[in-house]
Amino acid sequence: MEEYAPLESTGIEEPLDLVRLSLDERIYVKLRGDRELRGKLHAYDGHLNMVLGDVEETITVVDVNDETMEEVIRIVKRNCEMLFVRGDGVILVSPPSRA
Amino acid sequence: MEPTQDFTSFLIGRPVIVKLNSGVDYRGILACLDGYMNIALEQTEEYVNGQLKNKYGDTFIRGNNVLYISTAKGV
Amino acid sequence: MSAPNSSGSAAAPAVAASIHQLPLELIDSCIGSKIWVVMKSEKEFTGTLKYFDDYVNMVLEDVTEFENTPEGRKTTKLEQILLNGNNICMLIPGGDGPQ
Repeated sequence: MEEYAPLESTGIEEPLDLVRLSLDERIYVKLRGDRELRGKLHAYDGHLNMVLGDVEETITVVDVNDETMEEVIRIVKRNCEMLFVRGDGVILVSPPSRA
Repeated sequence: MEPTQDFTSFLIGRPVIVKLNSGVDYRGILACLDGYMNIALEQTEEYVNGQLKNKYGDTFIRGNNVLYISTAKGV
Repeated sequence: MSAPNSSGSAAAPAVAASIHQLPLELIDSCIGSKIWVVMKSEKEFTGTLKYFDDYVNMVLEDVTEFENTPEGRKTTKLEQILLNGNNICMLIPGGDGPQ
């Protein structure tokens, strides 16, 4: 088999490498249902199941006022010491840089 | 080699648009791609309804959300 | 190879009448021709089929994306796409798309 050099110097050969390189770093995770997580990545697997520590969860809720039909966007935040994330809800994972 | 792999290797290192089933677009440089259509993008910009909402350095996008990956014109 | 199809116009791919043709063989006979892809959701694509694989992931060229929204139909032109086969409902050889 011919060995291909990783793209540029990033050391990333497959997408999951990006997640591997984020171990023990604070990451940003976008989930289905307008949920976002920021926390330290302790563990993950190929399904993108993840264990995050010291997590801040941000939930965006759109409330519709019955009378005016106005949409009010409400942001709910909560914190969690340790969290297991099931991979099938994950849309996007981003390492800390601008998270 | 699978012919679709020719196209994916052609895309690597190029600016692409990744459209998700939800309608959200991600524009960035395609770092790599696997058989599940999991994607690593660099210099990622998130567009919702055509409006720039967020920028990320690198991103991993889980393949099950991906509708298509397109070559980006005029980027 | 495709069965003889004397009546078909030059533009239409050989959508031969043989009912013994396997579904993927039909798609294979569309390579290089226009194809119309209807997704499970309110989305459709037309374009020239370049490649596909066993999951019917497809590479399409000179693509038009049609999106049916409550506000009407939105179309987008794309040079070349790798379409995820996961959400495809139906393929129509030689189809020009909706209207």
